Amino acid sequence: MVEERRVAGTTAGAAPGAEISIRGLDKSFGTLKAVDDVSIEIPSGEFLALLGPSGSGKSTVLMMMAGFEVPTGGQILIDGQDCTRLPPQKRNIGMVFQHYSLFPHMTVLDNVAFPLKMRGVGRAERRRRAGQALEVVRLSGYGDRMPAQMSGGQRQRVALARAIVYEPRLLLMDEPLSALDKNLREEMQLEIKRLHVELGITVVFVTHDQGEALTMADRIAILRGGQIQQISPARELYERPANLFAAGFIGEMNMIPANWDGSCLMLGQGERILPPESAFVSQPVQGSTTLAIRPERLGVVPAGTPGAVRANLTEIVYAGAGTLIIARLDDGTEVRARVPSAGLPPLSAGERIGLTLPPEAMLVYGEIAA
Amino acid sequence: MTLSAFFQPNGRRLSSAGIVLLMAPFFMLIAFAFLYPLLSLLSLSVTEPTPGFGNYAKILDNPVYGKVLLRTLWIAVLVSALSLVLAFPVAMAMVSSKGPMALFITACVLLPFWSSVLVRTAAWAVLLQRNGIINSALQFLGITSEPIRLLYTQGAVVVAMTHVLMPFMVLPIYGALRNIPADYGRAASICGAGPFRSFWEVTFPLALPGVLGGVILVFLTALGYFITPALLGSPQEMMIATLISQQLREFLDWPFAAALVGVLTLFVTAITLLFSRVFRFDRMLGGQL
Repeated sequence: MVEERRVAGTTAGAAPGAEISIRGLDKSFGTLKAVDDVSIEIPSGEFLALLGPSGSGKSTVLMMMAGFEVPTGGQILIDGQDCTRLPPQKRNIGMVFQHYSLFPHMTVLDNVAFPLKMRGVGRAERRRRAGQALEVVRLSGYGDRMPAQMSGGQRQRVALARAIVYEPRLLLMDEPLSALDKNLREEMQLEIKRLHVELGITVVFVTHDQGEALTMADRIAILRGGQIQQISPARELYERPANLFAAGFIGEMNMIPANWDGSCLMLGQGERILPPESAFVSQPVQGSTTLAIRPERLGVVPAGTPGAVRANLTEIVYAGAGTLIIARLDDGTEVRARVPSAGLPPLSAGERIGLTLPPEAMLVYGEIAA
Repeated sequence: MTLSAFFQPNGRRLSSAGIVLLMAPFFMLIAFAFLYPLLSLLSLSVTEPTPGFGNYAKILDNPVYGKVLLRTLWIAVLVSALSLVLAFPVAMAMVSSKGPMALFITACVLLPFWSSVLVRTAAWAVLLQRNGIINSALQFLGITSEPIRLLYTQGAVVVAMTHVLMPFMVLPIYGALRNIPADYGRAASICGAGPFRSFWEVTFPLALPGVLGGVILVFLTALGYFITPALLGSPQEMMIATLISQQLREFLDWPFAAALVGVLTLFVTAITLLFSRVFRFDRMLGGQL
């Protein structure tokens, strides 16, 4: 790894990744508020994913970091320097675009050398360093080709080489893998992850694919309607979503309406549940709350087992190692359980079953599921 | 085989017989209204008044004709260059504007097509005449003390032809620019290119097929242009089209006029071939962006 670092030309000593501070960032397009008071602190060398559905403002945040959009409010600091209104060409940022955006009239080598040319690096030195960058993305020997002669995955690696060739301290990626097919996407995820580790560069990665964000990022910021819902490491995001949107957006989540009377939860059909103190993500006021639980944390037991919630089995989907159980509570709420197939008693649709809710898997939110 | 079978789509392409059928009316028109008159005219140039290349020798003998040809080429070059310089910014403005503004600019570019060339040329005659607005303005500003000769000069011809032919330059460049994804400009700037370098390194090279298309259209049209030089040009500084017309109508020397047409045709063909050879025109147009 040390060898590879030297090859990529990272300056020894100083931390290679930039420290980013985004403070109260706003962006309005007319009356539409695309980004609303977004603040993120990104430490040097972090891989941060901006995750959200389309229209959530994640791309707009990236565009403002790159300098393509001017914020209507707030600040962006890169290594302590206020870059909010700095034009893109003065930011020294690497960027990979969704559709590669390689210049079609230049060879692969000239594409990669382009940022160096713009920085006044001499021709021989340019070619040498571009060649090295191509080596880093494992495309040595492809320098003389035109971009049109490369496959999608190769093009994206050329784009990656072009983005890192001048050793930027920050790399922005705008859904860089969405144009690739599934196998290539997984390969590129590992490739990008490897580069991040080797170069120690700070990466901000925009995606709408939660799997991609969970696999690659150190931390994930979930956006919705221009606002940050949660910024957490992948595991925390999955195990303890900050609100119901985050809970529903990442993975599968059962959301059971319940009534909080100040001491225990009452389900619609009358069962009383006493969640542990730690289950309360947000403190409910008395009245309607939501009890959330991941399908793989539920257990299936015979009806009438003490402590189990009664339900009607509506569907069993056998899928090899695991089985998906879809059941309905008496108040009509659908609940899904993913249980190991081994040891599951024979069940049939319409049967009365019991569902166990382990206390440590319970999450209680003081809001009602939409 | 029924007629409809020719047009049965084979994948997304028509059968070659279908293509021949689609092109047939156009080819028939070309053959009847262009090739036949041209060839009969050209044959006139080598058969009358005596068989041989006498008419062509006459062109070479008198330096006046060579001068006319050179002047025509020069004016065509000037008009093309001027159109390019004026058209490129307009095309860029068209591409980067949207909504009502885009509509307005497009209308401005296409407006000349709604009036006849004759009207537009006559408008320049009005502007450039002795007592016209330009001479009045020059005198009012104290730049000249008396009216200067603007009409019936080579300058008048170049300005008016540029005005008439500029849309043919704008449209191909607009087409090429519109095909350049916005991300290319962004990629260039994030790579460190300022607006100026971004233009010369990325935008302009990618717009080159449109530029060449526009230059060929304007240059070749300018070579054979008649109305504007005839109305605004100086009779002492003729262009080839006016010379041909003069030979036809005033001297009724059809064979000699035909020889001049032959020379013009030769030039047009040679220049087109040269362009496509030098700039690998086919490859640039077929090239993937």
